[in-house]
Amino acid sequence: MLATLNKYRAVFSVGLQSNLVYRVNFAIRGFFSFFHLIVVFILWSAAYTGSSVIGGFNFAQTFTYFVALIVVQFMIGAFNEDYQISEDIRNGLINQFLLKPVNYFAYRFSIYLSARLVTGLLILLPVIISYPLLKDYLVLPVDLWRLGIGLPALVMSALIQFGIAYCFGLMSFWFLEIQGLVILSMALESVLGGQIFPLDLMPEWLFKISQYLPYYYQMYFPVAIFTGRLNDPAAALNGLVIQAGWVVVILALGQLLWRRGLRLHTAVGG
Amino acid sequence: MDSLAHYARLWFTSARYSIMRTLMFRGDFFVWALVELFWMGVNLLMVSVIYQHTATVAGWTKYEMMLLVGTSMLIQRFLMGFFWSSIFEMGRNIRSGHFDFYLAQPGNVMFTATTRKIDPDSLINSLVATSVVIYSARQLGLHPGALDLALYVLLIACGVIIHYSMLVLCIAPAFWITSVQGIEGSYFTLSEFSRLPRQAFHGLANMAFVWILPVVVVSNAPASILLHGFDLQIVGWLLAITVIWFTLAVVIFHRGLRRYSSASS
Repeated sequence: MLATLNKYRAVFSVGLQSNLVYRVNFAIRGFFSFFHLIVVFILWSAAYTGSSVIGGFNFAQTFTYFVALIVVQFMIGAFNEDYQISEDIRNGLINQFLLKPVNYFAYRFSIYLSARLVTGLLILLPVIISYPLLKDYLVLPVDLWRLGIGLPALVMSALIQFGIAYCFGLMSFWFLEIQGLVILSMALESVLGGQIFPLDLMPEWLFKISQYLPYYYQMYFPVAIFTGRLNDPAAALNGLVIQAGWVVVILALGQLLWRRGLRLHTAVGG
Repeated sequence: MDSLAHYARLWFTSARYSIMRTLMFRGDFFVWALVELFWMGVNLLMVSVIYQHTATVAGWTKYEMMLLVGTSMLIQRFLMGFFWSSIFEMGRNIRSGHFDFYLAQPGNVMFTATTRKIDPDSLINSLVATSVVIYSARQLGLHPGALDLALYVLLIACGVIIHYSMLVLCIAPAFWITSVQGIEGSYFTLSEFSRLPRQAFHGLANMAFVWILPVVVVSNAPASILLHGFDLQIVGWLLAITVIWFTLAVVIFHRGLRRYSSASS
């Protein structure tokens, strides 16, 4: 047990180091997010000139939502895990995992964790620095239940994020090119995951449906709990149950794809 | 005149090659066309969701905003269709040294390197963007005259040239700093601004994105011609910045070209 843990701790620390090496990439991502936030600020402040309350929330509450979304994205979002897995398969790098007592899922997940630890901590820097500028537009509700339900929701969101990327990566067993598929699903994710607008602004029926889809639990759910868009503890608990269901489904799907895919896989070269 | 015919012939040869490639990979064509269609849908959905909760954004009504978003998509589709793949690959080629290939070609390097590939999927989707513009114009009850339409087309062409120049300028740093990747993305971040109405910008943001960088004007100018008719100031402004940005791109590109030292062995 301890030996197993040590194995993946080594992977984790290698991942940590390689992420610190590529800090320029992080800086670029952070820079883009900052500009995206400017777009959000300009668009929504213009929308709020037409009406001071939108969907029951004022401008600061909506802006807080978008800031929290970016922070959470750097904490748990799967950036290019699907691409890396796909490359491993196409280049035959996974062959080495078939010969060694290393579980590929655990290996990838350890790297994902170390990468998110680095980006998750680094994103706090620009937030802290720009806090004096932003503080008039940031409002966070403080209730204990938000922490109690929000934290497990955040952990499960991370599992869903990684699980979906893992499944997409494994598609490379069947398809040569997954980039198109990934971007297509990204478009779906960005809408139903709440990145374009807070989901509660959608028409009621669409919002209801979205709560049964995995996208809702990728990021929106914990963010909505923390930023006060979701204010009913009972509804939040209910969401937690659905989310747990999706975690199980997605991880099981990942296992299934891995087993089926390996049967198709032909290891070439050494 | 001869050289113009020469470049037209070069362009048609590359275009024919690109179309043949597309016909070979029909599945890819279909997926990418769908991807773009979907993203356009996302933008329109955002507009309609916001307008469910408010009547105006910076003084723009729903269909005025749709017209703006459609115009911005139209420019972007043309850019993607005619230049994106070539310019994107240019960055990679400069880093890897494969750029040598273009230096040996008959013609201006900037022309051959930035027009080598066209993407028919984006060009198809420009029809969708056009329908968005037409639909919005009809909802608004607009009846633009022939002159207004001609001006709209002219300003769209200017917009494509400006975006082309910005994209070249985003990639050109690769001549100096070969290690930085992902700078291509900076262009997309900038283009996000082009879907916003000019009146929404105040203070510092107005200075940066309306006056210094042309991202906002590029889409707002043609849209305002359709919405409010001919305005000498707007047309003159756009024509002037088209010349400025294109010149800047040409100068910087050729400066960079002199720095290019070929990385291949």
